[in-house]
Amino acid sequence: MGKGGFHLETKDPIIKFAVVEKILNLARANSLWPMTFGLACCAIEMMSTAMARFDIDRFGAGIFRASPRQSDLMIVSGTVTKKMAPTLVTLYEQMPSPKWVIAMGNCAISGGPFAFEGQYNVVEGVDLLVPVDVYIPGCPPRPEGLLEGLMKLEEKITGTRRFPTVEQKW
Amino acid sequence: MVKKTLEDIKNTLKGVDASEISYAERGYHLAIEAQKGSLIGVVEFFADKGFYLADLCCVDYAEYLELVYLFNNFKELCRVKVTLKVEPDKPVAPTISHIYTMAHWYEREIHEFFGVYFEGHQKLTYLFLHNGIDCYPLRKNRVPVTDDDKKLLDSFKPEEEEDAFFINLGPQHPSTHGVLRVVLKMDGEYILSAEPVLGYLHRMHEKMAENRSYQQFLPNPARMDYPGALLFNLAHVAAVEKLCGIEVPERAQYIRTITCELNRISSHLLWIGAFLGDLGGLTPFLYAFDDRENILDILESATGSRLTYCYFRFGGLYNDIDDTFIDMTKKFIKRMHERLGMYEKLITKNVIFINRVRGIGILEQSEVPKYGCSGPIIRSTGMPFDIRKVEPYAAYDKIDFEIPTGKTGDNMDRYMVRMKEMEISLNIVEKAIEKLPSGPINAEKVPKKLKPPKGDVYHAVESTRGETGVYIVSDESDKPYRMRWRVPSFSNLMTFPALAQRTLLADAIATMGSFDLVIPEIDR
Repeated sequence: MGKGGFHLETKDPIIKFAVVEKILNLARANSLWPMTFGLACCAIEMMSTAMARFDIDRFGAGIFRASPRQSDLMIVSGTVTKKMAPTLVTLYEQMPSPKWVIAMGNCAISGGPFAFEGQYNVVEGVDLLVPVDVYIPGCPPRPEGLLEGLMKLEEKITGTRRFPTVEQKW
Repeated sequence: MVKKTLEDIKNTLKGVDASEISYAERGYHLAIEAQKGSLIGVVEFFADKGFYLADLCCVDYAEYLELVYLFNNFKELCRVKVTLKVEPDKPVAPTISHIYTMAHWYEREIHEFFGVYFEGHQKLTYLFLHNGIDCYPLRKNRVPVTDDDKKLLDSFKPEEEEDAFFINLGPQHPSTHGVLRVVLKMDGEYILSAEPVLGYLHRMHEKMAENRSYQQFLPNPARMDYPGALLFNLAHVAAVEKLCGIEVPERAQYIRTITCELNRISSHLLWIGAFLGDLGGLTPFLYAFDDRENILDILESATGSRLTYCYFRFGGLYNDIDDTFIDMTKKFIKRMHERLGMYEKLITKNVIFINRVRGIGILEQSEVPKYGCSGPIIRSTGMPFDIRKVEPYAAYDKIDFEIPTGKTGDNMDRYMVRMKEMEISLNIVEKAIEKLPSGPINAEKVPKKLKPPKGDVYHAVESTRGETGVYIVSDESDKPYRMRWRVPSFSNLMTFPALAQRTLLADAIATMGSFDLVIPEIDR
């Protein structure tokens, strides 16, 4: 815990109830509520993921909330510019703990194609602003990619994976 | 027809340097060199004649800065380029914002990117950038922002006022479709004034173009307008082809038409979903995306990607379409015709929907040239202006199609025009597939490293939101000296402050939704 504040998300609590925590985490992992936070091209793929064909609702993550105060997961889908950066940090701070961040797409990971010599307006990676749990590469990533990223996040929260991974044969 | 107008312009405008230009090579008919004293007279003349300001940009030639005013007429195609040279240190130019409302924003943009002052401009504050940037980004040499100028740029602050309060709509708001911020001054539920603040997704495309070769810039346009990626891709490719004089084979032209129209339908479908979502109906969202996925499957089979296509190459295409593509397209056209009937039942005849959109956000036809907006927005006012018809590119001149128009220019008309456009796009695809010739898909002898001849070119295409133009200045190197994008959403959004004034907040959201805004396109 910090000196004057309650930064629960950065350090583990002093007293931990193992079984209760486990059950809570299972519940959290299966009902991640993402925030409607579309920045650029990746937002369209995020919307596609929420729609009928890919149906992110199967994993309990389909309830997109417009308010950061009602969401657990921030999917940074697109380029973060220096003008947008303070707003993004404010939104992150407004989310109640425990909270997670997915960096979707190359722009959110490292600035992507917009990180060139002499650039003046793009934050080269959202991890410079907020802690990121899962990175999903792609420009933009396919909806399957976002779903896989969600699995990875669930794995991080509960410690077990929902589905077995596909064996790579090459 | 154009000849007569050009003669007319030359005879009336005596004392300015006017020369006729080959339209096929340059994309405009007449070039006029104005002086600081004569500029206002020239611009007023074009305003009287009913011309609209298609674009206003600046090019830095090191010895001088050149302001480029591009005019066009809605009634007949007549593109005129007016240039004005200004000094590089402490550049000053007269404002034309009292003649063309749209110039307000263009001049603010030039001021923050080039440091040009416009005498008489009301409000030269930040539109795209923010106060962390200490030099004018698009100048060729590094020019720092002076303290006085920084103060001027940073002077927009909504202040408290009695009986009025401010609301920030965005940058994180579900119905701004991205990261647009509108500062609303409210009196209860009514909007007193709306002031858009842009630049939350300014990704420096124009700066990037100057740092990359023509080929390296190919993937960028798709990131500018992601719902209609192919159309922006086409604008870039076609402009460079015009500059270099590359002939594109007929088969490639037809395939470009087919894929572009499919992309247009998918973009309109996305818009329907988002628009109805703004109004509170989430069901059409699911239906529209279901249809959209079908188009994405078709386009993915040809282009290799789902969203940000980079399919067109200079002089042709990345790869050919096959029989599976054609079969899938034919199946889709049949399915889509049925679905359009369903949309009619689900949305168009819905009483709640009609009450939310009819008679709201009316754009007068007489206002249109002042703003220079384009696309479905002006067609809804009853103006049959479509770049595909007046300035045909790809294979649009070989296919017969009609232009849907509205009557009143309200939200309902904008919706109806887009619905009809989807039907017409389906017909265009059907006809183009019937006529599809065989042959090569790539022009011969296109060099790997393009070095276009010296000069400039303007090329416009009708993207899903309106006139998308590319203005390229080449200096014979493999990189463009300056690449300027004229984007439709930018000028369409300019009408929003006027339309939102004195309306309810909920109606303003409906109006904004009907514009089909794409923010990365506005911010570039």
